Amino acid sequence: MAEIWIFAENREQTLELLNAGRSLAGGLGAKVAAFALDGKLAEEYINHGADEVLVLPSLAEDQPLESYVSVIAEEARREKPDIFLIGGTQRGKEMAARIAARLNTGLCSGCTALRLDEKKQLVMERMLFGGAAVQTVVCTTRPQMAAVPPRTFEQASPAKGREGKVRELPPVPGTPVTVVKRTPKVRESVDVTEAKIVVCVGRGVEKKEDIALARELAQVLGGEVGCSRPVAEELQWLPEDVYIGISGKKIKPELYIGVGVAGQIQHVTGMRDSKVVLAINRDENAPIFDAADYGIVGDLYDAVPKLIKELRNALKI
Amino acid sequence: MLNTIACFKWVMDEADIKSDPKTHELIFDRVGYKISDYDRNAIEEAVRLQEKHGGTVVGVTVAPPGAKQCLKDALSRGPEKACFINDQSFTDLEPGQTASILAAAVSKMEYDLIICGEGSSDLYAQQVGPALAEKLGIPCATYVNKLTYVEEENKIIAERKLDDGIEVVCIQLPALVTVLPEINTPRIPSLKQVLGAAKKPVDNIGLDSLEGTFSPCLKTTGILAATMERRRLRFGTEAEDIRKVVEALLKEGVIA
Amino acid sequence: MGEEKFAAIVVGAGPAGSTAAYLLAKEGLDVLLIEKGAAPGSKNMFGGRMYSHALHKIIPGFWEEAPVERPVAREIITFLSGDRSVSMNCQDLNWVKPPYHSFTLLRAEFDAWLASKAEEAGAMLACGILVDDLLVENGKVVGIRAGEDEMFADVVIAADGVNSIIAQKAGLARMFSPHQVATGVKQVIKLSAEEISRRFQVEGENGAAQLFVGDCTRGMRGGGFLYTNKSTVSLGLVITASELQKARYKISELVEDFKQNPHVSPLIEGGEVVEYSAHLVPEAGLNMMPQLCGDGILVAGDAAGFVLNLGYIVRGMDFAVASGEAAAKTVLQARKNSNFSRQGLGLYEQLLKQSFVFRDLEAYRKAPGFMENRRMFTAYPQLATGLLSEVFTVDGTPPVHLLGKILSQVRENGVSLAQLAGDSWKGARIL
Repeated sequence: MAEIWIFAENREQTLELLNAGRSLAGGLGAKVAAFALDGKLAEEYINHGADEVLVLPSLAEDQPLESYVSVIAEEARREKPDIFLIGGTQRGKEMAARIAARLNTGLCSGCTALRLDEKKQLVMERMLFGGAAVQTVVCTTRPQMAAVPPRTFEQASPAKGREGKVRELPPVPGTPVTVVKRTPKVRESVDVTEAKIVVCVGRGVEKKEDIALARELAQVLGGEVGCSRPVAEELQWLPEDVYIGISGKKIKPELYIGVGVAGQIQHVTGMRDSKVVLAINRDENAPIFDAADYGIVGDLYDAVPKLIKELRNALKI
Repeated sequence: MLNTIACFKWVMDEADIKSDPKTHELIFDRVGYKISDYDRNAIEEAVRLQEKHGGTVVGVTVAPPGAKQCLKDALSRGPEKACFINDQSFTDLEPGQTASILAAAVSKMEYDLIICGEGSSDLYAQQVGPALAEKLGIPCATYVNKLTYVEEENKIIAERKLDDGIEVVCIQLPALVTVLPEINTPRIPSLKQVLGAAKKPVDNIGLDSLEGTFSPCLKTTGILAATMERRRLRFGTEAEDIRKVVEALLKEGVIA
Repeated sequence: MGEEKFAAIVVGAGPAGSTAAYLLAKEGLDVLLIEKGAAPGSKNMFGGRMYSHALHKIIPGFWEEAPVERPVAREIITFLSGDRSVSMNCQDLNWVKPPYHSFTLLRAEFDAWLASKAEEAGAMLACGILVDDLLVENGKVVGIRAGEDEMFADVVIAADGVNSIIAQKAGLARMFSPHQVATGVKQVIKLSAEEISRRFQVEGENGAAQLFVGDCTRGMRGGGFLYTNKSTVSLGLVITASELQKARYKISELVEDFKQNPHVSPLIEGGEVVEYSAHLVPEAGLNMMPQLCGDGILVAGDAAGFVLNLGYIVRGMDFAVASGEAAAKTVLQARKNSNFSRQGLGLYEQLLKQSFVFRDLEAYRKAPGFMENRRMFTAYPQLATGLLSEVFTVDGTPPVHLLGKILSQVRENGVSLAQLAGDSWKGARIL
């Protein structure tokens, strides 16, 4: 019987992929098997759609999660699943690439949509050129693999009375990569993906202190401050949690305001679903103006204070 | 002493890609090419390690023969030699193919460390690095933003920046790493470096000197431009213009 | 490695620099051609058309291998005045037989090709490098400095464009005034090749060049242009910089208005803009020419102000190529005499004087002054369009002979007969 396999490094993504897996299983008349990092999650996964749960053994303290690659690949080689969906976190992407290499099969990374065609092949969509284009692919080899970004699918809903098998997998051999230190990320209290209004800081802002201007604008509007990748990663003026782009956060606010943002496609891909876009940039040829409803061409140090003043006036603050 | 291979890809500059507003097909007519942004960081990291520990840096790429100019660019950034694995059929390769081709060529080379970018700026599949490591049977660490070579023990300490935090791993060489753009700032080649690049050796490796077949597993059934409808209205910074913008935002109902 | 010494260092891989480098490299000299853009042409822009004669002399039949767009078969001048326009439209099929009078082209491709010819001939091309300064010893230019690297040469050829830092550093030029340059803004608009041929009434691969005078520059000195490429058109405006500064218009807004002008929009309807660019254009001709040579240095191309704008003809590239050729010949002779001093390089001015470069610039020396006449951009377009419109109008009003029509139009447009006669006479002599 055709099988759809799911692996994700956390519970949330496993549930998301179970949702996708179950839809595909319906169309194929297939079973769904999910990997679990903890046996205690097996029952939950079965309730949410897994026909089988493959429980991975616990790892040693100094083994990174990616050590599971050999065990997973070996299982896949033996059981020959038809489709293998992997949660596309950083680790997930690495593991998917390595498993696909071991199985000599094709992998669609950053897969944002899945469906079956008339021939019951898996049709996968992904973005190209930083988000400028959407590519549709099928895989001619088996398993057909896709690495799916978190939050692409909603989590599956539980069903009562589902039954499934649970199988424990053999221990992982020693791996050449040893972990010497882990520092968990301190979560910023701000979730820029939930904000209704986001003021985004780009490289047009000359000094770190000038972000205060963007903050003031955000504050007047009751919004949050985000940024483009270079401001977070290279300049490190803002935490990575708030950088918006194809490899960062994707936001869908009511209003996006780009302050000194050039509008490279990688960034635009992260905010393209904004309802209204306002951009302020001194370069009239900046690509952001093609992605904006309202574009103010001029010096942000001139425009933003004026904007704040006018907004205070209009909103009577 | 550290012998490093830095892999790089010659890609279209995505900023030059346009699309037909009616058919949504992509227009590549006036597209410029460049070394993929993240690969510049890979080359820079390799050269930095060499400046500190000695050894060699070889720049390696898989490309169609017409992409020759990428070699001068890569060589002007520090490697002493380039390896041009080229064939007419090497266009629109999928990551799995690139990894297999690289593995076939690199397995015949001497190396301690392979450095790749975290992904290419055109496809950004982020597969070639780890897939190449698997094909070569060497360990890898991805998303590295800090890399240290411990000479006495012939290992690397790689700091990985992941969604959930920082993970520092230790790997015995030979190994492969993929690096994040924040790991370094690539140098801008100076005039002497640009001129020097023309004199550096290039190994041309053709398909016939590689073992194995490199057939694709994926098939592309369509590519369409991502579309976005926007008003694209423009304003200046005069008080009158700012007022008009605020009025428009109020009318759109997006501000209180 | 010891200090590298080149026979010549050419700064700027545009048409002047690449031509000079090509000719010198062909003679076996060690030439270094330095370009600040990532590729030659990437920082360059022009209206859209090159007259072939100069390059044909250097690379005969260059059109067989160079990336040119369309040979121009049709020349059009259009006066714009509100609802009316008047065009003079001339096609000459001889222009599109070899040796092809002129070609439209796109600089990114063309300049890259011309620089590659220099490279093929043996020149060393270094791109993405900005030359910061000249190296001067005892008042003589001995090389250049880029970043921390110093390169030495017997002679430096400054072909670095309209705002030549090199010529200024050598004390040969002063920074130009906004009065002496124009701002040119261009959009490249995509249309199908068939549509272009249809709209401009040209056959096959032939193309058209159209210049516009009148409304498009809102009374400021300058004009609009449109050149047909294979499957795009290059459209834009050129306006004297000092006038733009005084007026409150932004040239990009003027270009948008120009595109929407009822006499222009049908020509580009349905087209998509694929490129924006802007550049400065030297306008003052001989009146802004720097000293052309010093000890160890020559100035060529736009850097020397070698551009001629007569309104109905705009030329820069052919001058650039010819001055590059003259520079190369000068260097070769200076080498023979081992004399790279100002006197030793004296052949340069001589060659330029003997060639069309000085001859044409001198002949049209008064053109920039004449073009300052505001009537050229306001009253005369109104007059021409008003007159012709009247001439063709049949609406039951009493008949007036042509002379009467002319006189009434002249009065209506606030021009005196004396001015009209004087301007016509002067124009015919100067342009």
